[in-house]
Amino acid sequence: MYGFEALTFNIHSGYLEAIVRGHRSGLLTAADYNNLCQCETLDDIKMHLSATEYGPYLQNEPSPLHTTTIVEKCTLKLVDEYKHMLSQATEPLSTFLQYITYGHMIDNVVLIVTGTLHERDVHELLEKCHPLGMFDSIATLAVAQNMRELYRLVLVDTPLAPYFSECITSEDLDDMNIEIMRNTLYKAYLEDFYDFCQKLGGATAEIMSDLLAFEADRRAVNITINSIGTELTRDDRRKLYSNFGLLYPYGHEELAVCEDIDQVRGVMEKYPPYQTIFAKLSYGESQMLDKAFYEEEVKRLCLAFEQQFHYGVFFAYMRLREQEIRNLMWISECVAQNQKSRVHDSVVFIF
Amino acid sequence: MGEDEAIAKSSEDQNDDGVSESKAVPVEDKESINDENVEKFLDSMDDYLILVDSLSSILRQGWLELASARHSMGASRISASSYDMKYHSAATTLQLQHETASSDVGQPHFVLRKWESSDSPKKDPSDSPTRDPCEAKLEEDKWVQSVSSGLRIRTKGTSESSESREKKAENTGSPLSVDGHAQKERLKALSMFGALAPPKLRAAQLSFETALETLADIANVRASLLRAYEQVQKEMESPIQ
Repeated sequence: MYGFEALTFNIHSGYLEAIVRGHRSGLLTAADYNNLCQCETLDDIKMHLSATEYGPYLQNEPSPLHTTTIVEKCTLKLVDEYKHMLSQATEPLSTFLQYITYGHMIDNVVLIVTGTLHERDVHELLEKCHPLGMFDSIATLAVAQNMRELYRLVLVDTPLAPYFSECITSEDLDDMNIEIMRNTLYKAYLEDFYDFCQKLGGATAEIMSDLLAFEADRRAVNITINSIGTELTRDDRRKLYSNFGLLYPYGHEELAVCEDIDQVRGVMEKYPPYQTIFAKLSYGESQMLDKAFYEEEVKRLCLAFEQQFHYGVFFAYMRLREQEIRNLMWISECVAQNQKSRVHDSVVFIF
Repeated sequence: MGEDEAIAKSSEDQNDDGVSESKAVPVEDKESINDENVEKFLDSMDDYLILVDSLSSILRQGWLELASARHSMGASRISASSYDMKYHSAATTLQLQHETASSDVGQPHFVLRKWESSDSPKKDPSDSPTRDPCEAKLEEDKWVQSVSSGLRIRTKGTSESSESREKKAENTGSPLSVDGHAQKERLKALSMFGALAPPKLRAAQLSFETALETLADIANVRASLLRAYEQVQKEMESPIQ
């Protein structure tokens, strides 16, 4: 029953909740970001990061540094923390933690399949995969010619198998089919994760419902905007929207017929939580939409830490670290390209 | 008075010999030609410097937009490993022509042909099943050339031909269909990063496309700059008569 988690939560998950809250306090602060934004070179960034928790991961990297190296090493830190938590977790927390990585698994599958379609070397593609989304048979994805083979040869033994029911066809893989496959898989994953959290109940269900609904709505908006001018039909677009969230079902019906960004704005402004997001943008502009969504997401993720005895803190921590890595990537790119005046275009401060 | 004597002498030479002396140009005309060539050189130099500066800022903007797209899509989705290694024809080509106008014999002229595709324009086979493939290819080339010349920025010495070609583009394909074709080809080129390209990636593509056009203009302006410089140097070396 909701409200009595304090009696039993710490028996199995108290240690890990303490660990994740400790990790949270290691997130970069405003002072750290101020120092990073004033760096002149990537070596300066490395020097400033050596005083943070990223220090041990970057200290052995030789100069000259590259922005992708900084991102890779910072991601390794996140992966190590995740693996430690997963190894210590019991059910159902271990399943919950695995659910967090299925999004990366989908991205890796699509990366390998797309790269194979473009006749790239599999080993080169494997190096680009996200470490949180790796599984044993991922390299054998390269032999599949269509989605049916993809499922039958490789994915049937992975956690993504249940998500393939809607996209098993014998059509050959091309760029549009792969993109539809990506979004269909992600839709099925989000719905499954949502159902799992609802079954857990309590504070976890309440907090995760809000976070996953926001994710579903953001996906719907991004799919709509990105498909403007493409061959994706309205019906196909509608099929890619998730079956939950604030926009479901009426907002989805309106988004499916939008042909430009202003129509999308008109639909979203009917929903008060998204009115503030679109109020920050000028008419016809879509460049700052990502940052506005990230800021809203960070606000909701930070609120998850205000309550105890739920699994939402693990999800929130992983997402906040990923946002931090995105911030570091953007700052590094601005420093490398000598465009420090544009740093604040995409950096989202956490806490 | 000295100038009048020079003019009189040139006319006497012409009358005596019965052949006009091409070298005997009036001094004031020769000076005005010198000034014209120097002005042409300085104008070309100015255009060149402006274009180089413009290219630098467009490329900076393009690289930042690409970084912004990587920031939102993820570094793994936009990287060199996403490039399509399958054999396919180039979407954009550069054609070298030589100007044949009176004053610019042999000057190279670069023409950028953007968004050509072996798939465009789609011809319905039922329309002319017996058409010679070479003839179809020639017509396709003409259509593509009219499209590309409509997109090409005008340069000096080609204004008349550009106007006539633009009229042909309007007759053969409306600006809307030209834009539609270019937009389709743009999205097709971006599909290697994913069929649903975000606005930031599309903006980066436009920036680099503009940079390509600027590069072609820089090449043309540089050719005219070097030509004008040669003219000026030739005049400086030849004695004034």
